[in-house]
Amino acid sequence: MFLKRLFYYFDAIAFSYKTNFLIFIITGGMICITILSVVSIFSLKHDFDILFERRTKPLIQLEELKDTYKVNIYDTFYDIQHGSISPQNAKEVVTLARQLINNRWNDYKKRISSNYYKPSYITSTITSIYPIAIIEEKKILQESIINNIEKKIPIVDNLMNDIFKFVENNRSYDAYILVDRLYFEVNSINIYLNSLINYDLRLALNEKRKTEKVFNIIIALSVISIIFVFLFSIILSVIIINNFKKLHNSLEQKVALKTKELQKLNESLEKKIQIEVRNNRKKDMIMFQQSKLASMGEMLQNIAHQWRQPLGSLTMIIQSFQTKMMHGKLTDEFVDRKVNDSLLLADNMSSTLDDFRNFFNPDKVKNEFSLQDCLDHSLELSKYLLDKEMINFSLIFKDEITISGFYNELSHVFLNIISNSKDALASKDKNEDKLIYVVIKKVDNFAQIVMIDNGGGIPFEVLPKVFEPYYTTKYKSAGTGIGLYMSKQIIEKHMLGTITCKNVKHKLGTDTLHDCAKFIINIPINQKDYDGK
Amino acid sequence: MANENLNILQNFNILYLEDDKNLRVHTKDVLEDFVNNIYAVGTSNEAFNIIINNKIDVIISDILLENENGIDFLRFLKEEKKIHIPAILTTAHTDTKYLLDAIKLKVENYIIKPINIKELLNTLHDILLPVIQQKQLQKHNNIIKTISTVTDSKQVEVVNYIFNNLNNDNLLITSYSEIMEKINISKPTLIKLFKELAEKRILVKTQHKTYRFDEKALNLL
Repeated sequence: MFLKRLFYYFDAIAFSYKTNFLIFIITGGMICITILSVVSIFSLKHDFDILFERRTKPLIQLEELKDTYKVNIYDTFYDIQHGSISPQNAKEVVTLARQLINNRWNDYKKRISSNYYKPSYITSTITSIYPIAIIEEKKILQESIINNIEKKIPIVDNLMNDIFKFVENNRSYDAYILVDRLYFEVNSINIYLNSLINYDLRLALNEKRKTEKVFNIIIALSVISIIFVFLFSIILSVIIINNFKKLHNSLEQKVALKTKELQKLNESLEKKIQIEVRNNRKKDMIMFQQSKLASMGEMLQNIAHQWRQPLGSLTMIIQSFQTKMMHGKLTDEFVDRKVNDSLLLADNMSSTLDDFRNFFNPDKVKNEFSLQDCLDHSLELSKYLLDKEMINFSLIFKDEITISGFYNELSHVFLNIISNSKDALASKDKNEDKLIYVVIKKVDNFAQIVMIDNGGGIPFEVLPKVFEPYYTTKYKSAGTGIGLYMSKQIIEKHMLGTITCKNVKHKLGTDTLHDCAKFIINIPINQKDYDGK
Repeated sequence: MANENLNILQNFNILYLEDDKNLRVHTKDVLEDFVNNIYAVGTSNEAFNIIINNKIDVIISDILLENENGIDFLRFLKEEKKIHIPAILTTAHTDTKYLLDAIKLKVENYIIKPINIKELLNTLHDILLPVIQQKQLQKHNNIIKTISTVTDSKQVEVVNYIFNNLNNDNLLITSYSEIMEKINISKPTLIKLFKELAEKRILVKTQHKTYRFDEKALNLL
């Protein structure tokens, strides 16, 4: 239950905390294990050292002690008994042996009683925490054996002294008796030493067992801690992987959601674009219509003017009948003349009307026509407005050129440019020369029409935009800004030509240089391979 | 149309400046029946030559000529050549600019095309009538002066005095002595003259020292 809650709590914490925790656990566990193993190795080494120093060395000392008694003393006296060694030499050997025995015995006692060899802190801690059944050191037994040996040593010493005294006094018999007693004592000492050795051996075995136990415990602890760290790491990793999966899933869902939204947006955008395009097309249509209306208005002015003159004449003729009648001068000859004139005038008016009507009828098919005719006609159509502004128009035909295309459209283009020039020239002072200069010539395979007016040129900032749709420098009432755009479309799309404009200085057939705007139209003459739209 | 007064145009010369040949011919055909002489030309140069060489009473000019302007021509005549001839402008334009220029030049009329011949003739009549009247006045003056030289000049002086002292109501307030102070005339002659006028109901005494002049009585003579 608690674990589950912990798990859930852990699951709930932030991802970065989890990873940090995992790293912490792994590094912490590693460090713990390393420290633990190093410490335990050193403590175990310490314990083995103690075992050697404290238990094995005394055993060796005791064994040497035993050997000394056996070899030096027992054998020496045996030699003396059999006379194979002089008493003097024997005494020296025995004295040496006694010194050795004393030293070794004192050493042993000192080692036994010393506190220097204590078990390591770790071992003692472990033994205190995990009490290990160890056979209690039978100190009493050890002490009693030591006491017995200590009692025996002076006895042996005294016996040896007595023996040497007897030997020196040549009391061989007594000496022999004492030697036998000495043999007995030495043997008993050796027996005591043996039991002491046995005792020490048991202790060493005990200690060894203890160390083994400690070692086992340490190993167990290490394994447990390793397993703990391992398990914890695995659990954490699993949790983190789960977290990853969850994150991945949620991200996938989010991405899917966003993708859907984007798709929807895309669709709606497409619809919007379609609607906008349609609107734009409508707007374009309206603008084209407007521009057509505007040019129609201009045409209407032209028609009005071209009609005004014959209308004036007709009015006068009609009135003349009345006045002639009044004066009694209405002769047959007069009526004939006037009627003929009237019919001529009416014919003229009718043809003017036809001209303009044709102008607004779009050509359905391409025709071969003379460029000169087209320009003359365009000029005729705009003559009234040019006259009104007192603009001089000079046409120069260097080559006779026939092209195939849409007559009215090209005428439209010319009218547009003439109209623009007219607007530029209209703002000039009355007394200045107002000139439009048109040159037509053949350049390679192109018909080149150059139209120059001295209206001062196109302002620098306007120049790059003149062919853009809806760009106009005029007031809204005066222009739609579509005329030159339409002209460009007509020339480039329908006639496969080019139209450019720039500012130049030109004499225009006069003596002085004028600031001029120059329109250059290039139309390919051989268009037979083009089917046209 | 049959306006008797248009007959007065018969004595005048008119210059017609119009660049449209058709209109020029037809208008000339109409106008030549009404006036003494009509000079119809297409350019201001021709027009100027005619003005120099002929006596022109009225100029009728179009405003928009080929490459020139009728208003400019009129201004040139008036301001540079100091030739003052009454002018009528005909035009298809009603532009304010032209109108203002025309008013500054004090043209007699501004006729919008197509030309209504009646309007044109009436305008001509209006322009020329004062000239005729001026001429007639001059003629009458001359007649009176001539008569006065061959008759009794004193009586003419008295008549002169009477007309000079008529007030707005055609009343003469005076006495014989006042007249005699001004004019060296004998009283019986004066009385005889007044009596004669009274008999013919030309000058009737209404009150003391007050006489009424009756214009209608003159027509009955």
